[in-house]
Amino acid sequence: MPLHEAHYQHWEGVRSGIWSRRAVIAANGLRGCLRGKWLRRVLAACWGGALAQVAVLFALGQLLVKDSLVARSTNNFDPQLRGFLQGLVGWLEQHPEISVRVTQDFLFYQLSGYLTVFTMLAIALAVPHLITRDLGSKAILIYSSKAITRWDYVLGKAGTVFGLIGLTWLGPVVFSWFLGNLLAPHWHFFWHSRLALLHAGLYGLGAAAVLSGLALGVSAISPREKITATAWLAIWLVGRVFSSIGNAPREVLASTPRHWLEHLSTTFNLSQLSASIFRLGDDLQLARENVPLIGNLLHGANPRALAAVQSPDVWGAVISLGVMLAIAAALVAWRVKPE
Amino acid sequence: MTPTAPTPVLEAARLTKRYGRVTALDAVDLQVRPGAIGLLGPNGAGKTTLMKCLLQLQPITDGHARLLGRDVAREGRELRKLVGFAPEQDCHIPRMVGCEYVTYCAQLCGLTFQAARQRAHEMLDFVGMGQERYREIGTYSTGMKQRVKLAQAIVHDPQIVFLDEPTNGLDPKGRVQILELVHTLWREHGISVVLSSHLLHDVDQICDQIIIIAQGRVLVHDTLENLKARRRGTAEVVLAHRQNDFLTACQRRQWPCDASPNGRLRVDHGGTDVTPVLELLREIQLVPLEIVPSPNVLEETFLHALETSHATA
Repeated sequence: MPLHEAHYQHWEGVRSGIWSRRAVIAANGLRGCLRGKWLRRVLAACWGGALAQVAVLFALGQLLVKDSLVARSTNNFDPQLRGFLQGLVGWLEQHPEISVRVTQDFLFYQLSGYLTVFTMLAIALAVPHLITRDLGSKAILIYSSKAITRWDYVLGKAGTVFGLIGLTWLGPVVFSWFLGNLLAPHWHFFWHSRLALLHAGLYGLGAAAVLSGLALGVSAISPREKITATAWLAIWLVGRVFSSIGNAPREVLASTPRHWLEHLSTTFNLSQLSASIFRLGDDLQLARENVPLIGNLLHGANPRALAAVQSPDVWGAVISLGVMLAIAAALVAWRVKPE
Repeated sequence: MTPTAPTPVLEAARLTKRYGRVTALDAVDLQVRPGAIGLLGPNGAGKTTLMKCLLQLQPITDGHARLLGRDVAREGRELRKLVGFAPEQDCHIPRMVGCEYVTYCAQLCGLTFQAARQRAHEMLDFVGMGQERYREIGTYSTGMKQRVKLAQAIVHDPQIVFLDEPTNGLDPKGRVQILELVHTLWREHGISVVLSSHLLHDVDQICDQIIIIAQGRVLVHDTLENLKARRRGTAEVVLAHRQNDFLTACQRRQWPCDASPNGRLRVDHGGTDVTPVLELLREIQLVPLEIVPSPNVLEETFLHALETSHATA
């Protein structure tokens, strides 16, 4: 009698291609990440931000509807704010093709900044699921014995981070743009805001590519989960300290050139890319010309912060992020080996 | 028409692997036919390194290797769709349940999810895993881990499987079961098996070709049948009683014979099979409990090869 009733059978079927196998690694990694309750909470915060954005876009649209509750309630506002809103409404009515783009550019720039924070948190929670655990359990050996190379493995893991950023960032942006404009009083809001979506999407994709690479590098630092998660948080928070150099008192900073230490911060570099993609300098100029009160509001802003938004140091950011990515790639190449 | 020789499943030409100054594989030349192949050698002989070089898990320093007739260096990734590997150490993907893990491994070799899931269950049945397949691998016993390792190595229906010490840490019953499963892979399903082990008995039970490797060099490569043929004139006889009668009869025929501490009698009869021993037993009217032709041939070949290797070194 055979030891086991089940018998071996040969398999005949068509095997999937390499991109499908990479996608399997990405999907498996993402499933592993989403099992964590803290990550699900961070996701909820991201989508909550998207819903808030929908509410703001809806309220903005309702300002154009004379009898709406939102339009009527502005009568109770502070005179300065009421004046600002009246100027904005006038601009939206006269030049919707410019004003819708500019206002949504600004709103999506803000939303992207908010989502960056939560995405960084989400990655801190996901970093141990990427390469760290596989290093700890020597699973790289199993991966390498399958029909993939170690670079396919790395691409798959990058897909995991990309998928995660899709959920924490790109998804909320697209969702809020679509629903926000769907609730607007005119269909042309969709058309006029297409550039805002394009800018937010471009920035999101660029940031996703950069953060994926950096997350993989940090994940490959050690086989211990606590070490890599802490390393990610440390890099982020120390970076924020460097970037806060720009927030020193204006009398100190007004005469000093931009400080190179700021470029040690990933989020600062990303914010420079963001300002350049959204072209906020042009938008602010247009807004200032059309809504007089905006000029007054900007007068009180930190000149250094304003300069960072109006004339971002794109090349400095690109070079810094490039160096960071090169270090991350070297770390991955060094650590991700079967033995 | 004469039948053509089967294509070698494994070929190596001056295959060399160095780790710094240490030479783990020293210009290995091999041509191995399909079958159940036993890779023997002491610890640190280069068995695992040879397997890893063939699977491209380690870069080759010099020389060439081919698996299933295809160049390992050029076609490594696609080739591994047809190759299975069960490493010696535990290297499971963490926090996965057994069934999920085997499915995932099948997907990494190109099976679609549905096919992979179905195959995973079939292979887990085949290796004798029950409901444990729904538990996290981290909670498995050594025996279960070995079974899952075997399942993940064959789930994608490979043409050749490399098993590195598959019976390590198993109890006798588990060892027999795993060996039986491995045995059926070649005997019944035509999947070549390369079994690396330092347990000669395991290899003796299921392999038909033997490669003995030491200090990074291949010392012996032959079929088990040929190795046994070299020592056909020896037999081991187990008797329940009257051992002395048998020893006396052997002395009369001038056959060297001695008794081992476990009571087994080893006799050099000089024949090509055990017929002379049977005739002698019939003559003295003794019924043996067991007769083992060419006993310990593997062990003796192994030790002899190692001694020769040391002497040469």
